[in-house]
This record gives sequence, structure tokens and C-alpha cells, in this order.
Amino acid sequence: MAASAVFKADLLGAIPNLRAFAVSLTHNTDRADDLVQETLVKAWDKHASFQPGTNLKAWLFTILRNEFYSQMRKRGREVQDSDGAMTARLAVHPSQHGSVDLEDFRTALNTLPEDQREAIILIGASGFSYEEAAEICGCAVGTIKSRVSRARTRLQEVLGVSGEADYGPDAIAVQVLSSV
Amino acid sequence: MTDDKNATNKRGGTGAASADVLGANTEIGRKLRQYYEGLVSEEVPDRFALLLQQLEEVESTRKPE
Repeated sequence: MAASAVFKADLLGAIPNLRAFAVSLTHNTDRADDLVQETLVKAWDKHASFQPGTNLKAWLFTILRNEFYSQMRKRGREVQDSDGAMTARLAVHPSQHGSVDLEDFRTALNTLPEDQREAIILIGASGFSYEEAAEICGCAVGTIKSRVSRARTRLQEVLGVSGEADYGPDAIAVQVLSSV
Repeated sequence: MTDDKNATNKRGGTGAASADVLGANTEIGRKLRQYYEGLVSEEVPDRFALLLQQLEEVESTRKPE
């Protein structure tokens, strides 16, 4: 395969994760897809600056995040569509433990300030290390830790759950973690 | 904002700390992954594959091998 064909395949493979991150940032599928499209175009143009063997996913997340904030600046932080469009289109999985409703969780997540939301998503869901997340966000590792911690505390308060580990090791969650 | 001292110090730890801060056995950690997995598993619109194909075609006409 030509180099561009390999790169193309890698980009295609990264799209589901890029979309998930983009939706987490924008709360809006259409805006998220525009963001992903812009990210792919930029990544293609910058292909030469990507070093094979380094973390492509982190590289792409960085591009997407920069694009998101640059669009936000241009738009002057217009009011975000917090649930409307998304709620209808998302597949809602039933809560396995009958605990916090996923819809409530999403609403709570969307009340977090952007910097905290992106930090908790990168660390808790996208599978990045604190070091990688710091690089993606262009800040110190300690800053990421503090944002994650604040986000977690805030979510616990809003959702009324304790911080204690309330179930034993969960085989499904472990699988999910390793598949990200 | 007085939450810093408790929150960061207690759970700071190393780079691998995400395991306990948002681990599989915390409600927030589980919900976060459930939320995100739902997004990741959504069907990807065709427009992205088409876009990449176009980018590849443009490149191959620009720089024939």
C-alpha cells in the first residue's frame, strides 16, 4: 500500500473516536461532524508533519480540539444546543445497575465547564494517560489532574452519588477500557 | 473554589491514577464510559469515507508515483 493509503485507513479507523470526542465537546451531532470533517482535512494536509510510530489518535485529538476552540473564538461562544438534537439521536443503553440514568448523566456532563469536561472525557473515556491529555490540551499534567478531579466531584454532587467504589471489578468495563 | 486541596491531593497519584479516580467500580467512571461507548458505536456517516477518498484522489493526481 502507498503511504497515503495506509494513512487513509488509519484516519478512517480513528473516526468513531473523533466523533465521540467531538460530540462531547459540542453536544451537537451536526457540529461534531463538521468538526471531524475539518479535522480530517487538516490532518491530511499536515500528514508530512506526523511521525509514524507516534500516537496518531492523540495527534488527531489535538487537531480536533484546536479546531473546536478556534471555531468557538470565531463564533464568539454562541449558545450551545445542549440536549435537543443529541438526545433524539443517541442510542440510550439501559442502565445495568438501575443506578444513575444515562440521560441524567449526559445532562450533568454538559453542565461542566469545557476544560473540565474535555479533561474527564480524555482520561475517563478516551483512554489517554494524564501525560497525553496534557499534551492534547497544551497544559501541565497537574492541571489535567485538577480538572478531572473537579469534574468528578461536580458530577458526584449533581448526580448525588458517592465517590466510593460501590461495585466489585467489572468485567464489562474492563473490556470496554481495553478496546478503546 | 476551595475544592482543590482535598480533591487533588487525595487522588493525585501517578499517571495511572485514572484507574482509581474513574475506575470500573465507580459510578461516575462507569457512566462516563457508557456515555462515550454509546457515541463511539454510532454509525459513521458515509461522508467521511468519501471525503478521504477525494483527498487521496487529489493527492495522486498532484503527485503521480
